[in-house]
This record gives sequence, C-alpha cells and structure tokens, in this order.
Amino acid sequence: MVKKATKKIKILMAKPGIEGHWRGLVAVSNALRDGGFEVIYGSNMTPEEIANTAVQEDVDVVGVSIMSANYVMLFDMVVKALKKAGKGDVIKLIGGILWEEDFATLKKMGAAGCFPPGTPLQEIVDFVKEKTKNLA
Amino acid sequence: MTQENLSPSGIPIKDIYTPEDIKGLNYKKDLNASGEPPFTRGPYPSMYRGQAWTARRLSGFNTPEETNELYKEECKLGQTGFSVAPDMTTPSGMDADDPRAAAEVGHAGVPFSTLQDMEICFADLPIDKVSTYLADRIGGFLTAMYLVMAEKRGIPMAQVRGTSANDLLAWSALNLLNQVSPEANLRYAVDLIEWCAINAPKWNALSIDSYNARDNGVNAVQEIGLAMANGIQYIEEEKKRGRVPLDKFVKRFSFNTAVHNDIFEEACKLRAARRVWYKIITERYGITDPNCAKFRVHVQSSGSTHTYQEPYNNIIRIAFQVLAGVLGGAQSIHANGYDEAICLPTDQAMLLSIRTGQLVQYESGVTRTIDPLGGSYYIESLTNEIEKRVWDFIAEVEAQGGLAKAISKGWVHRLYRDAIISYEDKIQKKEIPVVGVNVHRLDKAPYEVPIFKPDPKRSAAHQIEKLKKLKKERDNAKVKQCIAKVEEATRKGENVMPATIEAIRNYATLGELSALQIKVYGEWKYPMGI
Repeated sequence: MVKKATKKIKILMAKPGIEGHWRGLVAVSNALRDGGFEVIYGSNMTPEEIANTAVQEDVDVVGVSIMSANYVMLFDMVVKALKKAGKGDVIKLIGGILWEEDFATLKKMGAAGCFPPGTPLQEIVDFVKEKTKNLA
Repeated sequence: MTQENLSPSGIPIKDIYTPEDIKGLNYKKDLNASGEPPFTRGPYPSMYRGQAWTARRLSGFNTPEETNELYKEECKLGQTGFSVAPDMTTPSGMDADDPRAAAEVGHAGVPFSTLQDMEICFADLPIDKVSTYLADRIGGFLTAMYLVMAEKRGIPMAQVRGTSANDLLAWSALNLLNQVSPEANLRYAVDLIEWCAINAPKWNALSIDSYNARDNGVNAVQEIGLAMANGIQYIEEEKKRGRVPLDKFVKRFSFNTAVHNDIFEEACKLRAARRVWYKIITERYGITDPNCAKFRVHVQSSGSTHTYQEPYNNIIRIAFQVLAGVLGGAQSIHANGYDEAICLPTDQAMLLSIRTGQLVQYESGVTRTIDPLGGSYYIESLTNEIEKRVWDFIAEVEAQGGLAKAISKGWVHRLYRDAIISYEDKIQKKEIPVVGVNVHRLDKAPYEVPIFKPDPKRSAAHQIEKLKKLKKERDNAKVKQCIAKVEEATRKGENVMPATIEAIRNYATLGELSALQIKVYGEWKYPMGI
C-alpha cells in the first residue's frame, strides 16, 4: 500500500519504442495513481507521441519504461522530442532494466530519477512527491 | 504472512497429507503407466530412462551473421536443438529499415526481414540432424523462410523437423505494435497448422504457449487453463472449416509453459495438464489416435522470478525451476541465463544455462526412475485439485465465447493487469517473499556481474544495407505479383500458406507481408490500461 500525495500532479507514463514488456509500466502507473497522482497510461508510444501528449495534457512528469538495452538511445530521443515540442523542462523519470554505470549519463541527459527492477514502489511515489512539491 | 497456507494458485495446502486425501484415486484411470492414457505420469513409456529432455536455449542477437556464430558454439556445447529468439522488429512485422524500428533492430533477439537472413542464420548448421524452434509471429513468415531455406539446401519440407510458436495467446500477451486482432490471428494460425499437417508433417506448426501469459502474472491454474482453452479454440476453428481430419490437425500440437518457483505446484501443473489434454482430445472431440492426446511440453524458467538484485541468486532459482520441469516430465527445457533481469545473457551465463540442465540430468539422480513423485499423497491430491480448477477456468473462458474473443474484448488482459497489481501489492507487504529484494535486502549491492552489451547501431546499419541491396536485386515485379496472390487468398478465405511461401521464396519481406495483414484486417488496439 502506498501513502497518498497531497496535490494532483499529472504524469504521463509510456514506453518509447516497440518492445512490449508492459508489466513494470502498469505496476508503477498504478502505484503512482494510488499515491494520489493523476496518471495517463500511454502504453507504447513513439518519442514524438510522448512529446505531443505531454504538451496537450500539460503534464508535470513524464515517466518512461524500457526493458531493452537501447534505453540510452531511446531516452535521448524522448528528451529531444520533448525539447522540440517546448516541454523540455518537464520532470523526466526512467525505469526498467538500467545499468548503474549509465545512471550518470541518464541524469546528465535530464533524468530526475532512474529506477531499476525491484525498486520499492513507495520509493518511486515518494521520489515523485519530493520532486513535484514545489509545483503545488 | 497470512494464517492460511495457500499455494501460489490459491489452493489451500494442508500441513500433512494422508491416504484419506487420495482415497478416490483409481490407478489405471487416473494415473496409469507413463506412455499410457491418461498420460498423467508422462507421454512416453520410457521417459528420461530412454531419452533426456532436449536442452534448448532461446537465443539470438544483433544480426543473423553473429547469431550463426552463436549457434555454432551451442552445437559444440552439446545442445540438441536450436531455439530462435527474433528481435522485437520481427513479431512487430517490421523490416530492419522501418523507421518505427530504428532503435530496436537486433535487440533482444535476431532480426529477420527476408529469406536471406534465415539463410545466413543457419548457414553450415546441421539442420538435417537437429530440430529448430522458431518464436515465429503468427502468419508463418519465419516458418516459411526456414522451410524454403531447408528445401534450397536439398532437405524436402516433408523431412524438416522443428516447431513454430504461431500462437495467439503468446503474442497477444506482449504489447506489440502492428498487430491484427486475435480473431484474425486465429485464422492465420490455423492456416499454418492445416498446411503443415499436409505438407510438412514433421513440423510442429503450433506451440500452444502460456509462457508470456504466466509472466504477465496469472497463476499456474490460470496458465494451464489458458493453454487448454487455446488448444480448444484451434480445434473448434478447424472443425468449422473441415479441411483437414482432426486427428491429423492436432497430431503435432505441442505446448510451451513457464516453470515458476513453487516446485510441487509446477510439477503437478504439468501432470494435471496431461490429464486434461487427454480428456479434451478423447472425450470432447472423440479423437482416437492416442498420439494426439499426448501433452508434450517445452518449459522455460520463469523470467519474472529473476531479480536484478544479487543476480547470482537467480542461478539457484533457475535450478529449482528446471528441477520442477523435470519432476513434471517436460520433453524440452530452457534454463534462462541468471543475468536476464539485467542484460541479454553473457557467454558465461549461457554456459551455466546448459550446465544447469546437465547437472540435474547427470548428477542429481532424479531421472533414475519415471515420475518419481507419483503416488505421493500430496502430489496426487494437488494434481487432482489443479485439474479440477483448470476445468472451471476453461468453462469461464468458454463463457466469454472462446479464447480469441476473451482476449479481443480485454477479459484476459484484465486478468493480467489485476494479477500484476495484486502481485506488486503483495511484494510491498512482503506477503510474497523475494530473497534479496523484499526479504534480507542489502543496502548496497554486494557484487557486480559482467554485462553483455549488444551493439545496436551496427546491427541496424548492417541489416538496412543488406535489405537495400536485396530489394534492388530481387525480381520486384514477381514479388508484387506474389503479394497480390497472398492478398487474394486472404480475402477469399483460402489457406494463405501456399501464396505466402511463394512470396517468401521470391524474397518478399516480413514487413511487406505484415502490412498486407493490416491492410485486410486493420490494426488491433492492445487492451491494457490502469
């Protein structure tokens, strides 16, 4: 069980690319919703679709989930698409099979948080609460 | 911890079992010897006393060229079959040069755009001696590539041995782009089964595959229930069509399940599945050929149980899962790489995967006698209970109008979603213990493991270059004509395989043939949300 956040923050959760392992995306999306956030479950989307949805829905956070080894490349595509759409400042999270040695690279590229498998869901919810507390 | 002692499928387990728990058991009717109906103790008389299970690793990466080198290595290690994992572009029906696939070519598997890729992948490999499993998308494109490749090497299609996934339960479990509806896939899958029954009788045209469904969170009872309901719908479809006698149609059906953590429940699941399949074939369909009623199964250790934390723990988990598969009497086993929660397996992890099965086979002694668990009060009682619950589950699926409809309208995916959410909730509450993750978790990772890193950019560029060249060199007028014939067969409701094979033979691409499926049937929207 996850404790509720105090304010409705809007989060887009999606999988860039065509790889279809959605289990983590559903689990984290559900935990964030239970944690009091408004979650848009985006499923598989191209980086451009992610950026356009982020703009249209005016989200505060974009979370992406990637299970194949091309996550640096895909995350870069998402970051660039968001920038191009004028949403470069959105809080970006990445989850999935991530190697610790890449965390620094991902953070430099703009990831506020990196969440490998087995991260307690409450930890992710608390992290997002902390990162979004000034948006209240 | 809850007070009640429940199996992962929710079956109440007693502290001790006695003769009381199996008092209705009739040996001849319910168990019988291995190789004898209802095959509870195994589909073949001699089981592992005659032949050990086939060791099969699902593998493939980067390019067909590099995968070919990998398969040669596997041969040297004593592997007796190949098991082809395509990359994500392949089940998504996208060629290497598809812009949507830009970041995915050669990731998590080997890419196939045309017959040429299949020819490269199996060059110089003893395909006349071993059998090959193709994790083929529905529509039989990879199967057609493989059969044409073999034929070009002088092996008649009627002699080629192997298995196609070709299963709508398996592929609909993944969220893939560019898919047609489960109902359309049922049509394509049955087309391939019909065609192989007549033209490639040594090829298993269908592997009823509940592995992905299981990793989507359903339990052992639901897993077998889905697999059985799946088998039923293929038979029902052919019954409607009446093109191939049912005994010929189902003769080479095989199954592919997960093996999860609970050793006895997993072993009993396979024993119960054999009895259920026997009854479906003989009692429901009146098929008398006993070979049709044999549930033959390939099992794979359950990827969803492998942890990112302390990856060496997965070696132990996988060994227990392989043991469960052996105790359950599986015909073929794939032990995952211990590092698959982190990366594609390293060479060392792949060696360990082969060795895991060999250790069970040569050193553990569990193959000394057939069905060593048979007759145990607990095992027989649990097998009975699983069977009973599987029948109930099949009835639920049938009430939805059969499996394809149940998937199409989102009923099956709601099961998945609810199972995942409930599982994660139990993980948070430590009701399901995972050592090193929510039980005895260390603050700091105690060690690092080597990571295998594919080189995606190189794979994509290489594949695109080859495809460009091929598209220039092939007879494009002929390809166009072939694709038009596939379209005609599709629209007329004829079996699409003869036209598909001709198209593949003339180097039509996987993307071209998939686009045609979408053109005729439209794209299916994956029914998942929160």
